[in-house]
This record gives sequence, C-alpha cells and structure tokens, in this order.
Amino acid sequence: MKSMKLMSRWLCAAQICLAGIACAAPLSITLPPETAALKPSTLPGYPLAQQKCSTCHSADYINFQPPGMSLAQWTAEAGKMQHVYGAPISDQDVTIIGAYLAATYGSAKASDADVLAASNPAAGQPAPAPVAKVDATTLLENNACLSCHAIDHKVVGPAYHDVAAKYANDPQALTKLTSSIQHGGSGKWGDIPMPPFAQLSNDELNSLATFILQQ
Amino acid sequence: MKFSFIDTGKPTRRRVLRDALALVVAASPLASLARAADENAEDVTFAAGPRPLVQYPQKRPLTLVTTRPPHLETPFTVFNEGPITPNDAFFVRYHLANFPTSIDPDSYRLTVKGAVDTPLSLSLVELKALAEPVEVVAVNQCSGNSRGFSMPRVFGAQLGNGSMGNARWVGVPLKAVLEKAGVKADARQVTFRGLDKPVLPSTPEFIKALDIGHAMDGEPMIAWSMNGTDLPFLNGYPIRLVVPGYFGTYWVKHLSEIEVVDHTYDGFFMAKGYRVPDNDCFCIAPGTTPAQTKPISKLPVRSFITSVKHGDVLPLKKSVLLKGIAFDGGAGVNKVELSIDGGKNWREATLGQDLGRYSFREWTLAITFTRKGATQLMVRASNSAGELQPLQADWNPAGYRRHVVETSHVTVA
Repeated sequence: MKSMKLMSRWLCAAQICLAGIACAAPLSITLPPETAALKPSTLPGYPLAQQKCSTCHSADYINFQPPGMSLAQWTAEAGKMQHVYGAPISDQDVTIIGAYLAATYGSAKASDADVLAASNPAAGQPAPAPVAKVDATTLLENNACLSCHAIDHKVVGPAYHDVAAKYANDPQALTKLTSSIQHGGSGKWGDIPMPPFAQLSNDELNSLATFILQQ
Repeated sequence: MKFSFIDTGKPTRRRVLRDALALVVAASPLASLARAADENAEDVTFAAGPRPLVQYPQKRPLTLVTTRPPHLETPFTVFNEGPITPNDAFFVRYHLANFPTSIDPDSYRLTVKGAVDTPLSLSLVELKALAEPVEVVAVNQCSGNSRGFSMPRVFGAQLGNGSMGNARWVGVPLKAVLEKAGVKADARQVTFRGLDKPVLPSTPEFIKALDIGHAMDGEPMIAWSMNGTDLPFLNGYPIRLVVPGYFGTYWVKHLSEIEVVDHTYDGFFMAKGYRVPDNDCFCIAPGTTPAQTKPISKLPVRSFITSVKHGDVLPLKKSVLLKGIAFDGGAGVNKVELSIDGGKNWREATLGQDLGRYSFREWTLAITFTRKGATQLMVRASNSAGELQPLQADWNPAGYRRHVVETSHVTVA
C-alpha cells in the first residue's frame, strides 16, 4: 500500500499521471516576500501604524487607498479597524494613526493644527512620571507584542519558546534580539516582516529580550 | 509541487508608451485627450501611485491590489482573448491573511453539521463520488469590482475592472451533499467557511450564508475543477463553493465546513459587511446613510469593450471590428448595443456563442468611422428580465456592484 502511494507520488512528480491513478501529493505554494512599506513620516503615528497595522495586513492595503481622504475619513477608517476588525489599538492609537495616515496619504498636512493635536494627545498635560521598573509584561502589553507572538505557539511571528530555543547556545543572543526588536527584520522566521520598535529605550529592549530568552 | 515567485517591477510596455505619449502631447491641444486616457480602466488613482504587476504561484503576472492577504486583478487585456478566463490569469482575493500554504488532498475533509440528520465528514474521494458531477460556465465577480471608479471615492480595496473572471466549473450540486446529510425541517440558512482564518481571534471569521431554498435549488455547486484542471491554490484548492449568478463573496474558497442553521446567520460578513442599500437601485445619494440594507446578491447586467482601450487611435473609413463581453446574474443577456457618438445613437452588436446564462457572452460589431477626431465609444447590455445598464453611475457607501455603461475615449485619425 505504502509503495503504491510512493509510486503514485513519483508519477505525479514526473508529470506523467495516468488516468485512474490518484495523484494526491500535497499542493504547496510559496507566497512572494512582502516588500510594501508605509511612507515615512516624523509624526508619531508612523511607528505606531508600522507596528499595529502590519499585524493583519500588508502596507499596500494603505498605500493603495484613494488619494485626498480627509483627517476625519482616515481617523474613521482607523476606528473601523479597532471596532469592526478587532485591531488591538486604543482610542488614542486610532487618533494618532488617523492623523499620520491623513497627513501622509490624504488631504491633511503634517503641520495642520488638528493633525498635530491628534498626534500629541498628551500635550499640555504634565508628563507622566518615569516608570521606575521596566516590567516585561507591561512592555508586551503596551507594545501589542502579543498580537503577533505567543509564548508557546506561532501566531503571526514565531513563538517566544522557538526564539529562545534558536538562540539558546548563542552568546550574542541578547544583542541580536534587542537589535531585531529595535530595528525590525524579516526572513529569519518567514516572509512577514517584524516592524521596528525604535521608540523603546535600551532598558526596555533589554527587559523584553531577556524575558523572551527565558521562555 | 512548489511554485516560486518572480518579481516583475518593470513598467509595462503600455505604460512606457503612454508616458512617452504624455510627454509629447503635454503642451499640445491633445493634452486633454491624454488626461482622458489616464482615466483608464487599469489606472485608478491611488494614494501611492500606480500598481505593479506581480507573480504569484500558478499565476501569470497579475495586477497587485494587496500583498497580504493576497488580492490580485486580471489585467484587462486578458478579457479580449476569449470568453473563458484562463486559470493562471484568474483574479485572487482573500479577506483574511491566516490561511495554509500547503493542502493535502488525502487528508482534506469537508464537514457538514448543524440541523441535519447525519453530520458528515467527507473526503475528496467521497465528495466526488457522492453524485453525478455537474458543469457550469459562470462568472465570478467581486462585489467591489471597479470600486476604484466610485465617485466620490470610498475606502476599501481599490479595484479596477479586473476582479472578475469566467470559468467552466465542475463539481457536485450543494443540494446533493445536503440531501446526503438530511436537512431538518426547521432549517433556515446554510453557512459556509473555508480554511482562510483571521490573524487575530478578535477579527470576525469569514463565514457566508445562503437561504435554505437557494442552497437546495440545485444551482450552487461544490467545485473541484476549473477549466478542466484542479482549482489553482489561490482560487480555493481543493474545493470551493460556486454560486452561479451571485457575487464572488459567496464563492467560499478552500471550503471546509457547511452548517445548516435554524435562523438567519448574523456573523459579520453577512450582517454588517457585504450589504447594499435595500431599495430598487441598491444606491443612495453620496454622503447619506441608507435607511435599510440587505446582503448583496446577484450580478447586475454589465458589458465591456475589450478590443479597444482608452486613448487608442482608430482608423478613418476602414472597418474596425469592435469586440467585448457582456454578462448578468442569470436571466441571460439578450442585447448589446454600441454608441460611437457619446450615447446619441445606438447600434446592435452580434452576440457570440452562448456558453450558458451565467457565462460571459462575447459580442462583436464592425464599425466604419466616418468622422475624424476625439469620440467616445460606449457599450450597454440588457437582459431578458428587462434590466438595462444605466448611463449614470449610482453610488453606495461600500462601492459595490458597479454596472454603469462603460465609456472609452478614443481618437479617429
């Protein structure tokens, strides 16, 4: 029986399937690498959009929207992702991302008062007291890491278990991992790119990388 | 089998020619003509400029709409090659990015559950042996095909006219599968899901529903063959639902689970997404909100000229054979008319071979142009239910079911 199956697979591979032989090798495809990227901007919504939007879709979903959409329209669209499609973004994220998208792809300008106000919702309020302890769990939560990663199974990106296993015997593990988080990357774990988390401090990067390597 | 990717970032020959033409005529009286040519079927404007051709597994280079989840359009010239759209040119559209890239037909199962006497878990071999295979030539068209021409513009995948295709499908009637399971008396709808899943658990699953009467009327089919071969992976391998006359949203790919339910299914992609205004034109005034909506359903009658594109120069006093396609939701196209004077006069085209009432119908018309200069070619179709394409586009918030009379701007010289 087994040899029959091997035989039929061989026949399939050779593209000489005969009528009556079930050609039932798995059909596998390789999707092209993802090259689309969001347009850079100095607005804080740019890194946020890189991190949050790319969990579920490539950047060309945004790049190929109609030109000339307003701040209100782009903000409503970001809100739709939150409310309708369950994107892990807060109300404040919606406002900040909407401002970036409207200024970059739509009719708004980065210097518009309403774009600036939407991009800096905390302006005018006292700066939050610096967090004394850089807690990995809080960092995972605040940076939506767990939208794409889980401890023990692949989601969009690899399981933290698998990352830890890969670098288990690598003396450069901490450096490599902090760099991957800070600068993003692709190709190491598949074609879906990891967005850069450039706003994280060295302490925060170390805390996250250490946590991951302990899994 | 393994298929690889080739990047073709080069501009198309047509675009190079067009750009060269644009440079030459930019400062001339022909500039307005060049601008008209820019409003081309494949030149919807985007926030980030024109879209490239890309190559995906089992496909020839297709127009990129989105990379992940994949959405690719058929380049419009393909529709001039014949009434059947080749598998390697057939458009691709996924809603959700989490789907397998390897499928083993030996272990594949289609489950049938819910309000049935006998739940089923069918292998492909069992499915194929369940009833005499049936065949239909039918158009699969995205609800949002041509959305990029919606004016005012709306968000969503900005499609040109290439998210449609016509193929010969072979499978078993959905009815035969449901009868095998035994539908209970209280059944109201049948839901369908495939292997494509959301990335995040918080995103709604892509599940579609048909009324039980429609599911049992013998027309919807579970197909494994497309134009004589297995379905291409990205068109739903190994089986997909085929719903002749209905928009592509119902044609669930990688069909894996059928559930008979005793209520109207209220999941996102039926109750909130893919809905049109519930009135005669399925349309509203831009900027307003529909009072009521209902799920999108049948294809309206549509037609295209495929042998001529915007900006073409056609010869004077010489017979030109114009050619194109028309289709509808199944009543059957009974007339295609052309105007070469911007809609003042119409003349009837000759219909080509009838491949069935759900298929593209080719048409031809020989025209001899007698006046020089810029003109507009228009095509309109009607069907045996009395539907006629409108001259003015109607509008709905999601940019669905565009079916306005198409106009090509050309020059006779």
